[in-house]
Amino acid sequence: MIDLHGYGPRLFEGALITVELAVLSLILAIVLGLATASAKMSRHWGLRRLGTLYTTLIRGVPDLVLMMLLFFGGQIGINMITDWLYAQFDIDIFINVNEFVAGVITIGLIFGAYMGETFRGAFMAVDDGQIEAGRAYGMRPWLVFRRIRFPQMMRHALPGLSNNWMVLLKTTALVSVIGLSDMVRVASEASKATREPFTFMLIVAAVYLLIASVSEWGFARLQKRYDIGYGEEN
Amino acid sequence: MADTPIPLEVRNITKRFGDTEVLKGLSLQAHKGDVITLIGASGSGKSTFLRCMNLLEQPNAGELIVHGDPIRFKETKHGREPADWNQVVKMRAKLSMVFQSFNLWAHMTLLENVIEAPVHVLGKSRQEAIAHARELLERVGLGERADYYPAQLSGGQQQRGAIARALAMDPEVMLFDEPTSALDPELVGDVLKVMRGLADEGRTMIVVTHEMAFARDVSNQVIYLHQGQVEEAGPPEQVLGNPRSERLKQFLAPKH
Amino acid sequence: MEALINWFETQLADNSIFTLQTLSYYGDGLTTTVQLVFLSLIIGLLLAVPLALGRGSKKAWVRLPIFFYCYVFRGTPLLVQLYLIYYGVVFIEGIQDTWLWVLLEKPFVPALLAFTLNTGAYTTEIFRGAIKSTPRGEIEAARAYGMSWPLMMRRIVLPSAFRRALPAYGNEVIFMLHASAIASVVTIMDLTGAARFVYARFYAPFDAFLFVAAIYLCLTFTIIYFFRHLEKRLLAHLKPAGG
Repeated sequence: MIDLHGYGPRLFEGALITVELAVLSLILAIVLGLATASAKMSRHWGLRRLGTLYTTLIRGVPDLVLMMLLFFGGQIGINMITDWLYAQFDIDIFINVNEFVAGVITIGLIFGAYMGETFRGAFMAVDDGQIEAGRAYGMRPWLVFRRIRFPQMMRHALPGLSNNWMVLLKTTALVSVIGLSDMVRVASEASKATREPFTFMLIVAAVYLLIASVSEWGFARLQKRYDIGYGEEN
Repeated sequence: MADTPIPLEVRNITKRFGDTEVLKGLSLQAHKGDVITLIGASGSGKSTFLRCMNLLEQPNAGELIVHGDPIRFKETKHGREPADWNQVVKMRAKLSMVFQSFNLWAHMTLLENVIEAPVHVLGKSRQEAIAHARELLERVGLGERADYYPAQLSGGQQQRGAIARALAMDPEVMLFDEPTSALDPELVGDVLKVMRGLADEGRTMIVVTHEMAFARDVSNQVIYLHQGQVEEAGPPEQVLGNPRSERLKQFLAPKH
Repeated sequence: MEALINWFETQLADNSIFTLQTLSYYGDGLTTTVQLVFLSLIIGLLLAVPLALGRGSKKAWVRLPIFFYCYVFRGTPLLVQLYLIYYGVVFIEGIQDTWLWVLLEKPFVPALLAFTLNTGAYTTEIFRGAIKSTPRGEIEAARAYGMSWPLMMRRIVLPSAFRRALPAYGNEVIFMLHASAIASVVTIMDLTGAARFVYARFYAPFDAFLFVAAIYLCLTFTIIYFFRHLEKRLLAHLKPAGG
């Protein structure tokens, strides 16, 4: 058996943190992505510009730099706000930026930009006639979105979504740099302490590959569900 | 007749796309049981006119009165828009449209397509909607195909399914936008047969079409549009049987 | 104009962070980042061409190892690869006594190795996709004219595959630029390393990281512009005539 020098449980906890972080970031990214796509397709000039600015800035700067900016800068920014609140209204609160929350927000924010592009393309791929039929039958915009636009969009969005998820999963490794004890950080500490980098890093690599393979399988099943009604020539 | 409100009346509709005026003040009255066909060359504005009737296109001017209820408009910086979208939504539920390209929802089965709007727009119970939908599908000859997806059906079957979807709304007026233009010639007949049946049972219909035989045999009023204006209008035997304008004569002349 | 220069000078004089000293850190960091990214991209590219050809081989012993390499390097975080190579090399028994240590002592070489292997894997997949999507007719025509496999690859398949791969490869270049930021984790003073240093020194995260973000943004736009230009020139033949 592989000797983990007692790092086994911590490595397992680290893997759980990685998965939690990835899933929560994904949810945030999807919400932000939908909002961004809507903003970019809005008829309001300001919203469109805002959406473009967000996606351009985020996609032009390395993940790690954004993460450090938000994590280190975020604490100072929040302190500035709480100080101001204290000075102005005598409200005394202290918010400590927790690494996990900072990680989720940063990764969600970064991938929200990528998701925005994915969703925008997918929304545009939905045939206008499908939307028009909904409107012609007296559906309100929200109903059209929920019953027609969204399910049809998802079919086109899934390949991009799955791709973004794979990249997002790997990006979670960066939180180890800002001090979160994900599995990469545990493995790196263990490598240094035991001088056995191969043991720990290869295990971590294998776990990433495992998560990727499982999600690939999951996405394939989802795609099958959303492909219903398409491409089945009679 | 006089005491029941006219199902659909439009007055003086104009529509511009950019600088070109595509509809130059068109009016129409559809009484109960009327079958009105709109004919004309492509680009004459007949489809746009139809799409203005349920406000899929926003007319720049003109009135729209559905069942005695005039639609209210307001001016915005994007142009003229309905003042109350709730009113439009209710109006659209009374006028159901059949599209040239069917536009059946691709991710739903035929049955799901037919019950979708009755359940979610009219608030019917699912059970009731399904029973009604099965009846309608049977009627258009698709009883066996209720659980097929649109992509698994031929164009003619899809269009008959779309007619069932329109009927499920119990519409006051049915709008047909070139319902047979996207079909292979051998599939046109089945769709026209269903439409004739609807006319025979007294449905109010407005049909944009190229099928002159349908216009002659089924409708009680034919409107010939040319460049966004009514060139000739009247009963089919007059408009089609004895055209006065040169343009209409040319339009009706057999193509080689 | 003069007012602008005056304003800029007072700004510079007022701030205690962006002195010539710190600006030179950023300058050195920029050089390191560009070197690291450029070298790894070039070597990765040279690696990827034969690998992409081998990836489509009929022989399993050629195809499978390449598939495995791509799968592992694309499926795991670059940071893990970097740690593996960096620590892996450092902790090899007795390596400090060999001539290799001169090269490996600095983290630059392990980082370059990790980046190269990583971009090599992604580029291999990009090329493979492009080769696979060669129109069948072009291959049949080449065969019909009696071209041998190497000749056909060299003259017909690869030239058109490279062009088709261009947009995806442009994204890969941007991805590598951004990914290179993790070099700072193994103490390399690249752009991000410089920003972290300035942050630690002055405890001024906004100044340190926003400045470096702006530099990365400029680099990204340069790359995008360069590839757009290249695409326009090389992909002109795919556009409809007269368009």
